[in-house]
Amino acid sequence: MWDLKEYRIAGSAGEAVAMMRRGPGKGVYIAGGTDLFLFPPTCDYVVDINHAGLSDIVGSPDGDLFIGAATTLHDLATNPLVNRFAGGLLSEAAAHCGNRPVRSTATIGGNLCNALPSADLAPALLALDAVCYIADEDSQESLPLEDFFTGPRKTVLDGRLLVGIALSAEAAKRRALARRLTRSAEDIALVQVAVALEVIDGRVGAVRIALGSVAPVPMRAMLAEAQIEGELLSDLTPDRLADAGLIAASECDPIDDHRASAEYRREMVGVLTRRVLASALAWNPSDDKEGGAA
Amino acid sequence: MTEVGRNVTKIDAFKLARGEPVFTDDVHPVGMLWAKVLGSPHAHARIVSVDATRALALPGVVDVAWHAQVKAIPHTRAGQSHPEPSPWDTVIMPEKARFIGDRVAVVVAEDLATAEKALGLIDVQYEVLPALTDMDEAHRRTDVLIHEVPDPRGIAEGGRSNVAARIDKQVGDVDAALKTCDHVVERTYWLPRVQASHIEPHVAISWLDEDGRLVVRTSTQVPFHLRRILARILEMKEADIRVIKPRVGGGFGDKQEMVMEDLVALMTLRTRRPVRLEFTRTEELICARVRHPQRIVMTTGVMNDGTIIANRMQVTADTGAYGSHALTVQGNTGQKVLPMYPCANIHFQVTCLYTNNPISGAFRGYGAPQGCFALECHIDEVAKVIGMDRLELRRKNHIRLGDTDPLSAKLGEGKEGLVRVIRSTGLEKAIELGCEAIGWGRKRPPSAPHLKRGLGMALAMQGSGIAGVDWGAATVKLNEDGSVNLAVGATDIGQGSDTVLAQICAQELGIRYEDVRVLSSDTDLTPFDVGAYASSTTYVSGGAVLKAARLVREQLAAMAAERWKCAVEEVRFGAGLVNAGPDRTMTVAELASHALYHVKVQPMATASHMSNESPPPFAAQFADVEVDPQTGEVFLRRFASAVDLGTPIHPDLAEGQIEGAVAQAIGYALFEEVIVDAGGRVRNPNFLDYKIASALDMPEMITILVPTQEPSGPFGAKAAGEVPIDGPAPAIVNAICDAVGVRAYRIPVTPERVWRQIKEAGE
Amino acid sequence: MKIDVRLNGRDTAWEAPAGATLLAVLRDGGPNPARMISVKRGCETGDCGACTVLLDGQPVNSCVVAAGRAHGHEVTTLEGLAADPLMISLQKALVDHAGVQCGYCSPGMLISLYHLLRECRAAGVRPDDHAIREALSGNLCRCTGYVKPVAAAAAVAAALEAVQAAAPGKGTVAS
Repeated sequence: MWDLKEYRIAGSAGEAVAMMRRGPGKGVYIAGGTDLFLFPPTCDYVVDINHAGLSDIVGSPDGDLFIGAATTLHDLATNPLVNRFAGGLLSEAAAHCGNRPVRSTATIGGNLCNALPSADLAPALLALDAVCYIADEDSQESLPLEDFFTGPRKTVLDGRLLVGIALSAEAAKRRALARRLTRSAEDIALVQVAVALEVIDGRVGAVRIALGSVAPVPMRAMLAEAQIEGELLSDLTPDRLADAGLIAASECDPIDDHRASAEYRREMVGVLTRRVLASALAWNPSDDKEGGAA
Repeated sequence: MTEVGRNVTKIDAFKLARGEPVFTDDVHPVGMLWAKVLGSPHAHARIVSVDATRALALPGVVDVAWHAQVKAIPHTRAGQSHPEPSPWDTVIMPEKARFIGDRVAVVVAEDLATAEKALGLIDVQYEVLPALTDMDEAHRRTDVLIHEVPDPRGIAEGGRSNVAARIDKQVGDVDAALKTCDHVVERTYWLPRVQASHIEPHVAISWLDEDGRLVVRTSTQVPFHLRRILARILEMKEADIRVIKPRVGGGFGDKQEMVMEDLVALMTLRTRRPVRLEFTRTEELICARVRHPQRIVMTTGVMNDGTIIANRMQVTADTGAYGSHALTVQGNTGQKVLPMYPCANIHFQVTCLYTNNPISGAFRGYGAPQGCFALECHIDEVAKVIGMDRLELRRKNHIRLGDTDPLSAKLGEGKEGLVRVIRSTGLEKAIELGCEAIGWGRKRPPSAPHLKRGLGMALAMQGSGIAGVDWGAATVKLNEDGSVNLAVGATDIGQGSDTVLAQICAQELGIRYEDVRVLSSDTDLTPFDVGAYASSTTYVSGGAVLKAARLVREQLAAMAAERWKCAVEEVRFGAGLVNAGPDRTMTVAELASHALYHVKVQPMATASHMSNESPPPFAAQFADVEVDPQTGEVFLRRFASAVDLGTPIHPDLAEGQIEGAVAQAIGYALFEEVIVDAGGRVRNPNFLDYKIASALDMPEMITILVPTQEPSGPFGAKAAGEVPIDGPAPAIVNAICDAVGVRAYRIPVTPERVWRQIKEAGE
Repeated sequence: MKIDVRLNGRDTAWEAPAGATLLAVLRDGGPNPARMISVKRGCETGDCGACTVLLDGQPVNSCVVAAGRAHGHEVTTLEGLAADPLMISLQKALVDHAGVQCGYCSPGMLISLYHLLRECRAAGVRPDDHAIREALSGNLCRCTGYVKPVAAAAAVAAALEAVQAAAPGKGTVAS
């Protein structure tokens, strides 16, 4: 059993940070807890943020989206605002995370703060230029999600609280698709690729290619993005997309483990990036229903 | 027939669906202590000293035991009939740890958290020894011996080598025959370590009853073997031990082993208090049992016309730290598999090695899934080499009605077996129906342009109990209202044997299934049975029930004849009635009441049954897959099983056996593997990472029962439990090969393995 | 810690260690008198679903939910649905379709299916095979291969639809 001295329940974000900073000893924020209970960290207390008012998904009139850190994966998967945002990329990612009961309690904040290389929401959020809102006792900060992860199971937080994620309306209209590769239906992803891009007048605008499970942290393949950005759709031949895939493969930094080799993961980044780009450019999300696997 | 062949309500289904307290852990005796086992952190290490002072000082800790305090009586935990064919290489608490997780100490405390905490307070000094985790290295080396003491009964080569068991049996002369063949095809196949993964973990609770007798309530497949083993190693009389098997949350062979009952019993005897031990999933995946990993070399000599002349199967297997089932699982790999294609020259060789890996043991199929994978993949390879259709090659060579199985005479359960003659087979029909269901020869187009589609098939046969070894007994007692209490030693572990046995009893007595109540199993109250393994319960225990019911019927017939002053032969039973002609009719209830209050006799009988035969059930199984050649992903679209299990006593439950076995075998084929690193550590000891099939992993399932009449089985029944687990892995791999043209010689065929093979084939 | 919870419709106070899971409190007893033994322990990583209960009406794996998470919330176990007509019809269907083998996973499976069918009923839709499998994705069963449990759920769904057929414009398929 997890050897905890105290279970603190915070009524607000501010109270949560105060409870965390109060000590004595070491504390951890808890929302869903589905990851924490797998390998409980050594600490003295937890701060429960489920009652801290961080479970809402709010859309602005301009189309921006703010997602509270304690929003469950099930809510993400089923919320109409999230479903409509960028072709439902984030909803899809949430819907493939864990199993149905896990999604009832696991949260977006937990998925990110746990900072696994294979975090299921991270590629989608990176592809949508997500911004993290972080609270301390008397300050608040926002930073791009790309800067949030500092290593496997490591983030910039250091006792501060991730209160939520903001998505800008700019990203809402991107053509976005993702693909994850697993051994069985309910599995830790071996490789994840998420792509979001915009097409304006037959030319590709902003492109985001985000990768998961293939580097110490979820990452963007920026060199591959540069290959596509600004190009005329008509110039993007299958060979060009394959090249972009190979460049993404060269950018990632996978490891060998018992689930898959680095070599395989790297090659799959190439294959999946090419395929997801092709599907996104064709702008028909149903094209990527390859083999029924997500 | 009315009761046999009817889909009656499974006898325990409602209480299970209501979540009533029916499993071992659902009821806790007053004053119960919670046990935890300290497992070795080293794969191979002498336990130099154990100091439990700090643990015992923790409030709530009641007792700690380790090897220095426990008498070392060699035995096997395999849970088999006496004389056990597994080596006696085990003691309750070893002085040397032989795998990571081997027992070092056991602690009992007032609550679970305290017991867990106490583990960290036990100070152990180890002398770390070189670990052998590669079976070939274990074979080569005699300077490092995992078992240094010779096995008292000579099965293993303890003290001389790391060989836990050897088999070398030949019919005809394979070497000579191969020289005469048009083609000789040799291939090597690798099988992984997988775990039964019953959802209810191993759990046992023991206590002393008011007479000071030891009671063990446990999730076991073998209550009577367990009582015998416990009595010997605890130096008690069997009459002073009572083993109760409540509902069991799945076993699949893994609960044939005495994985923990000796520990709770030991701690109850030491503390005089009730003790409970339950494995975590992590402990299950490290310390319970796994299916033996094997390497199989198949060598087949065949003529141009497809006639198989000679077959050789050479098995190298890893039994892990102890030799549980080392001889017999490997024996089955050949014995249950090679007879599928009878030929004059068959050679079967086994070398089974001790290593410092987790312990291998019984798991549904019991060696046959490994052998069937090798043989059925190999048949496709042979067909390819000689340019013959793979279905034709099978049809030309497979075993038929009246054929004998020469290998079974050479191999028994650790002794010379009995000659087997096939007296019932629906294999031809199964092949025909399975082909029709899957659309053999009419491959569907891929569902997307980047996918390749393929079909594959495999044939399988198993047995129905162990011929001349497995036996069971049943007691049938008729009550005055015509209802029956049936007591069986047979062990319902979820497969539904209580239901099936009640149907057999009702059918024979001419009463309704709903009027039978079953008690299983309690060593105080039910007669002996070897337990639930080797696909034996319906065929063997069912035979005992049939005999006992027949004896009671004869008693009743005699009483009716006496009352009616007619010949016994005139008395007929059926539909709850007894009659002897139109004007002589009464209900079974009236006759029972007559027996108890007029004749003053209890209609009751106990009968025992053993079969000298083990008639094989047959299966033809078919897979329809799509493969993504660029990622190596395999999408299993449809799976068809046509199975001859004799008479299906309960068709729905028989289908359930097939569907469940296929689900397990899909995992075996595609994603299940307990991954052990070179240091002997399990890398994926949880369901996060050891994946078993979920509802989303399952294909469209087609299940076809092919009834036959087995003359030696109750109402023509054979067995259902194991045969359907053998064929899916080779059928799926054959289908992948059909789709992309490359063969996986190693399962599970993870996406990476498929991708790598395709890549290597292209280079 | 003290946890005030509405358990199966009754206000209940638990005393539990801060690090306890909801599963441990529901199943193991300890200082709390009522053991909810339909809640089974199977994996303790949120993968097998044997411990599935409803938390505020949503299915959760109680082995990876903190007991403290239930403070101020509602927890429903199979015991609490013993008299619920939908649950009774699901139990009957599971039994009638031979969807119970060892039965260890049955309570968790039933909770997941109950949740699915209640949601579908409220939305006036009938779950298809995939929706049922999705709902069962967190309930591992090693005995049945899921064929018969899925068929049982489909049968109940069809029966619910028939009952709702009186309400026009409903009965579409949800996936």
